[in-house]
Amino acid sequence: MTLNVTATIVFVALFLFVTWIGFVAARWRKADLNILHEWGLGGRRFGTVVTWFLLGGDLYTAYTFIAVPALVFGKGAIGFFAVPYTILIYPILFLVFPKLWAIAHQKGHVTAADFVGDRFGSRYLGLAVAVTGIIATMPYIALQLVGMEVVIGALGFPTQGFAGHLPLIIAFVILAAFTYTSGLRAPALIAVVKDALIFITIIAAIIIIPAKLGGYGAIFASVPPEKLLLTPPSGDSLGAYSAYATLALGSALALFLYPHSMTGILSSSSGVVVKRNAAMLSAYSFLLGLIALLGYMALASGVDKNSDHAGGFALYGPNYAVPALFLDQFSSWFVGVAFAAIAIGALVPAAIMSIACANLFTRNLYKTFMRPDCSDADEARMAKIVSLIVKVGAVVFILALPQAYAIQLQLLGGIWIIQLLPAVLLGLYTKAFNAPSLLAGWAVGTAIGTYMAATQGFATSIYPLAIFGITLPGYAALYSVVLNLLVVFALSPVFGALCRGTAAEPAK
Amino acid sequence: MAKPVSKATWLRHWPRALLAIPFIAALWVPFYNRLEPTLGGVPFFYWYQLAWILIGAAIVLIVYGIETKITRVAETARAPLNADGTPGDIL
Repeated sequence: MTLNVTATIVFVALFLFVTWIGFVAARWRKADLNILHEWGLGGRRFGTVVTWFLLGGDLYTAYTFIAVPALVFGKGAIGFFAVPYTILIYPILFLVFPKLWAIAHQKGHVTAADFVGDRFGSRYLGLAVAVTGIIATMPYIALQLVGMEVVIGALGFPTQGFAGHLPLIIAFVILAAFTYTSGLRAPALIAVVKDALIFITIIAAIIIIPAKLGGYGAIFASVPPEKLLLTPPSGDSLGAYSAYATLALGSALALFLYPHSMTGILSSSSGVVVKRNAAMLSAYSFLLGLIALLGYMALASGVDKNSDHAGGFALYGPNYAVPALFLDQFSSWFVGVAFAAIAIGALVPAAIMSIACANLFTRNLYKTFMRPDCSDADEARMAKIVSLIVKVGAVVFILALPQAYAIQLQLLGGIWIIQLLPAVLLGLYTKAFNAPSLLAGWAVGTAIGTYMAATQGFATSIYPLAIFGITLPGYAALYSVVLNLLVVFALSPVFGALCRGTAAEPAK
Repeated sequence: MAKPVSKATWLRHWPRALLAIPFIAALWVPFYNRLEPTLGGVPFFYWYQLAWILIGAAIVLIVYGIETKITRVAETARAPLNADGTPGDIL
């Protein structure tokens, strides 16, 4: 691979542009950034349009743009589960999260752990929520780096040794610097640029590439037939059907429990903004569906048979499919635009994720357990420092360990984060359940979900659940959270009776 | 006191039942795991799911619209001078 000069110039120019925006953002809707909710939630003042850009930039990450078409490219129809998943996230967003926003606004909650801890009167439950959020998000940040690494490699930069890592390190130093100074305002403003670039790239891709390849009919005709549809159930196994449906439902239920989605939701200016976005964000979903089809376009154009790309596929596997497709089909300057879109698409979620982790650490570990008396300024300073540590951690992670670890941990991250569902969801609607039972459910769900993934050697999150003589291969996250809920339902009356018993004693 | 409140809540939230529709459409896999009929060369499996992104968004919009209207009517009836039905800022 030789350096693609034109593309690199466009890429670097766009990158410098968003860097400038990142620093200017500190002065946007100026406020005291030494207060945590100003730095970490943008002062909760983002209206419908900014929230649309922010959540869109947050949820549809660089890794999504690389990994979803890569899965379709490599495995076919099953990779399309990202589409039913995005169909389901918006009814969930509409139903659940305006209410959470209202409570968080009223009580000044900055994180989901604040809400859960306060609602059930247990800082240990809050701690469990915070630790789960941080641990599940870290590999997600690392995966953003994978997305960035792939496009930097595809531009023709050297990929080995320190020189190979330098572009990535520079990008992350920039990211860390503007996140530190501007907080959530930086990704909110950069998201506007990122989303514009992504929309331009994808619309160009779905018009230009099919035209070159002979239309959508020709593209689908060149896909091997066994990849086009899910394998129907055979024997006593529901096969790909149950896997597809549970992956979609489980991922949709998990999405808004991630700290970075929560940060995006809580930074909006009202519950109505959240509701409106539940409808408007589907523009991104549609885009994601089209992006998934890029996997088939890559198959149809035969990028894997082009000897120019052999090196890229050897390094990055199917993740190289989309960059290779763009390199083959676009002129150099537009390759620069497209790759910049993906790289900036990594910056926005990585910034929001590190801010979300910093908020969790500061509010629910540092302030709750270490320094309950810390001032607002201390709190904000701590969060800024933690956001730096989180990013350094992600860079070290990706440079020191093989990519496969990040992907496996991300799989586990989905299984871990969904265990917060009972506490968040039940907390919104009822006080009938108590902290000990929710903690027990969380522990059981986390353990069982991790065990299910372990039985598959952490290679997949699909667990073949055998029940009544039928095998239901499905997403371990969904199966384990059902167990979690059952434990909560079973133990709540027990702990409730115990608590009432002990509470009644001293009263007498 | 509690009873009229819950009745009003129910009246305001009944359109939310519509939100069950996308779940059925997206999770009933055997229905759409087929090639025919194709649309402009795109197999059913793909265009059906892409179309449901748009239908799902339309359903959410409809529910939002009905709820906002019901809320506005209810609040106008109660306090005509304080009918803050136009929610939030735009930017």
